[in-house]
Amino acid sequence: MSWLRELVDVRLGDSGAGARGPADITELADALTMRGFEVGAVEPWPAADRDPPDAVLDLEITTNRPDCLSVFGIAREVGAMYGAELRLPKVEPDAAVLDASAAQLGNNDAPLSITIEDPAVCPRYVGALADVEVGPSPRWLAARLEAAGVRPINNVVDVTNYVMLELGHPMHAFDHAKLSGPEIRVRRAAAGELIRTLDGVERTLQPEMLTIADAQRPQAVAGVMGGADSEVSDTTRTVVLEAAYFNPISVRRTSKRLTLSTDASFRFERGTDVTAPLTAIARARYLLAAIGAGRPRGAVVDCFPAPPDPIVVRLRHRRIGHLLGQKIEPAFVAPILSRLGFDPRAEGEGDSPTWQVTVPPFRVDVHREEDLIEEVVRHHGYDQLPTTFPALTEPARAAGEWRARDQTVRRLLTGCGFSEAITYGFVEREAALAMHPDASDLVALSNPLSEKGAVLRPSLLPGLVDSLIHNRRRERQDIRLFEVGSRFRQSVGETPSLAVAITGAAIPPHWAGGGRPADLFDLTGALTRLAEGFGSHVAFESGTAPALVPGRTASIRLTCGNHTSAVGWVGQLDPGFANRRGLPGSQEVYVAEFDLRPLTLDAFARLRAAPVPRHPSVVRDLSLEVDDTLPASEVRDTIWGSAGPTLVRVQEVDLYQGSGVASGAVSLSVRLTFRAGDRTLTDAEVHTATAEVVSALERLHHAKLR
Amino acid sequence: MTAPDAIDAIRTAFQADLRAVVTAQDLQSVRDRYLGRKQGAVAALMKSMAGAAPADRPALGQAANLLKREIDEALTVRRDALDATARPLGSVDVTLPGRELPFGRRHPLTLIREQVETIFEGLGFEILQGPQVEDDYHNFEALNMPPDHPARDMQDTFYLQQPMPGSGAGSAPPATLLRTHTSGMQIRYMETHEPPVRIISPGLVYRRDTPDLTHSPMFMQVEGLLVGEGVTMADLKGTLVSFLQRFFDPGTRVMFRPSFFPYTEPSAEVFISCVFCGGDGCPVCKHTGWLEILGCGMVHPAVFEAVGYDPERYTGWAFGLGIDRVALLKYRVEDIRLFYDNDLRLLEQFPH
Repeated sequence: MSWLRELVDVRLGDSGAGARGPADITELADALTMRGFEVGAVEPWPAADRDPPDAVLDLEITTNRPDCLSVFGIAREVGAMYGAELRLPKVEPDAAVLDASAAQLGNNDAPLSITIEDPAVCPRYVGALADVEVGPSPRWLAARLEAAGVRPINNVVDVTNYVMLELGHPMHAFDHAKLSGPEIRVRRAAAGELIRTLDGVERTLQPEMLTIADAQRPQAVAGVMGGADSEVSDTTRTVVLEAAYFNPISVRRTSKRLTLSTDASFRFERGTDVTAPLTAIARARYLLAAIGAGRPRGAVVDCFPAPPDPIVVRLRHRRIGHLLGQKIEPAFVAPILSRLGFDPRAEGEGDSPTWQVTVPPFRVDVHREEDLIEEVVRHHGYDQLPTTFPALTEPARAAGEWRARDQTVRRLLTGCGFSEAITYGFVEREAALAMHPDASDLVALSNPLSEKGAVLRPSLLPGLVDSLIHNRRRERQDIRLFEVGSRFRQSVGETPSLAVAITGAAIPPHWAGGGRPADLFDLTGALTRLAEGFGSHVAFESGTAPALVPGRTASIRLTCGNHTSAVGWVGQLDPGFANRRGLPGSQEVYVAEFDLRPLTLDAFARLRAAPVPRHPSVVRDLSLEVDDTLPASEVRDTIWGSAGPTLVRVQEVDLYQGSGVASGAVSLSVRLTFRAGDRTLTDAEVHTATAEVVSALERLHHAKLR
Repeated sequence: MTAPDAIDAIRTAFQADLRAVVTAQDLQSVRDRYLGRKQGAVAALMKSMAGAAPADRPALGQAANLLKREIDEALTVRRDALDATARPLGSVDVTLPGRELPFGRRHPLTLIREQVETIFEGLGFEILQGPQVEDDYHNFEALNMPPDHPARDMQDTFYLQQPMPGSGAGSAPPATLLRTHTSGMQIRYMETHEPPVRIISPGLVYRRDTPDLTHSPMFMQVEGLLVGEGVTMADLKGTLVSFLQRFFDPGTRVMFRPSFFPYTEPSAEVFISCVFCGGDGCPVCKHTGWLEILGCGMVHPAVFEAVGYDPERYTGWAFGLGIDRVALLKYRVEDIRLFYDNDLRLLEQFPH
């Protein structure tokens, strides 16, 4: 706080003489927060002798405001808030500045020669010397660094850090004696060039990285960290002070590549003020002298081959109201911009002027009119914005078919007792391969958080099985889960899928009896219900699928409209796989996965209700002995194919094997329901139809009527 | 024993027997014992009166008849009482538990998502769903986040080892990353539709955050976008205030605060009065009384330029809301990771 108040004339609780100010530090913190600088904490700073007691504001600065990564930047905002005057920090008086091109020509007065080989990545480099006496910093300076979370090292390094925290511009100091001469070359690294940085790590540089080198070798990674070889030490007598502007993208890339992020790189990669280096050097030389740590030697050398023109942005008063939905008086707009460091020049008169606004070089975030409007509304107050409602000028379009489909799937499956799961989109490679053994079809992440999420799921089953196991390991016996979500394969991309899993009791024990464990037919039943819920139909055929038990696995064929397609698998989960995933015990688990793409509600879109039957139906039961390898679906197909048009329903009502039935055979009882739409069926008609069915079954399947 | 004594003895015995009656069967045996035509005590009494003096007979007969009537009436009263409490034929104990029918629940994140969708559908928004694997252009570049933009650090991204087929139409670029927000769908929509635009896009998104109480590498988000002529920030404020009050509570207070997102300018963070303490301050709101609930702002003109809209003619706004965060607050769940454990002990607390 005391540092801030050194830079801006704002007094707490001072309602008198001149400057408006906040009542207390909490009000100041709230005001900063409401202008986009979130104050995370206000901590009392242990400076008991201070009156009022000092405090540290812990601010969160968004990435667009590197200018506020400094006490002066915040002071400017505070000044704008309260109309308080900014106080520029003291700098070295009357420092001579030498253009680097003059220094280049072997000018004897030049303390330093500076060459920028690539002005695109380093448009400006300012260097200067100071003779120093290295020692500890005075208490007040060290305390301020500590308050900002920077460890004091020695008076010279501390001054460079102090300037960075105060002005937001990073600096560096080299030990003049450790350089191979009074020469600074800003150049790209040679491939494989080595540098030991201040943290003691030996680093290999790449040609894309910018270095600050002497005549022989790199002495710093530009904008990131200095080199250990030219580090300021107790024996240092003269330092080369550096303040430069580095291209943000270049610093960011280098910092990422070296996985080395520093206070300096953090600021450079967000963008610094290209005009600041000179001020920073002058401030540092002033401070060194002021604390008795040294004195300037020679002129400041400034290498700035192509100073950019300032940015001018047009701001229309009308546009402010147009974007915000609120009229803000011109008398508010221009002064607030001026206080923030902009230079607004009004064009034209009237109550809706246009300004040509010169953007100060420290505001690297402002390029367009909208950026200026944000400045205005930020200080005018978001809480002042009215609340209106946008006009509806066109009716909304309906959501895609996916939405009704997914909602219907959820409704049907929750209706069948399955609860919805949501599992991660990435899974362990081994689990993915177990369900989808084609490794080339997997989509791997290049930076997974862990091996447990190494590949995008090619199937929803690994995740759903893990969720089932999670429940099973927590005393839960009876589990029904489903998930609707995307799966990912190189061959087909991202597609919608459904997975279902069941274990434990299908019907729990009850005082009236009738408990029963879940089996395959609970799942095929649920899938049949699902298809019916879409006005569609599924059929199951014996098959084999990865991680499912052979003989207890079926492929699923969906008929939706006139279109039939294989949509997935249903079966018992391989107990070995389940145990490897952590399933305790030997409880059977049944799972299914279903490609949702062919599933549509089209059948209902075309629905025309059939008349309700007016004539009674007739029921006939048949008991058949058939080969036990004969799929029931074939018997069913034969019945449907032979009974004629009056058959309306076939139910398999009993299945029996054992005494009274030949070995290798099975007794199957079916109940046939006959009905005609236009008449009551006669016994003779039903008898004929049933005889046709029996004869076809005998002929095609050698079935025997029992 | 004299005859009057015998009558009193029968009356006393009957009253004791009647008191002991519990069931209808007990009652029948008492009736048989006293009023039975052959073995009944009253019949025996009548028979014994044959031996009495002729002069005593009328009085004794009267007393015996009185006893018979008395017993009959007492039995009738008792039978009526028994009938009143008897269970009808075929009755069952209705307090036994019913059969457990299977009962599945929707996931709490689905519930919240559908509530949000319903509210915005009512406000005339179209609901879109986009791919979870995206290309760099739709996730970042078109949203004013060119490569090497520091704002990309705000959304740590999962990248694919090899590009996979994109889900956009025809010539869509291959997907290279897991989307960090659903904004890519908004870009796709604007690329193929002229304003006015009024959409929300819910879905799962991914950020490479280490899981903890409030972070999950996958979470659910819904983003909204409204573009047209004369759309203002005041409209944004009005729409979000009415949404939040409808979603949480009509008394919810809403605060807008400046923030930064590369794809909006001006940008805002939106806070609601703490749903736990009502704004008085508690550990959840860190004693501020406010909870951060969403981010929003006016669509950055660079985004309009990327999709070929004229930023002079059209203005618009966008917002992004974390479904998980809302679910944590609305249902007072303490750990975001619980949503992805799919623990039935959690899931079964939610409505069907």
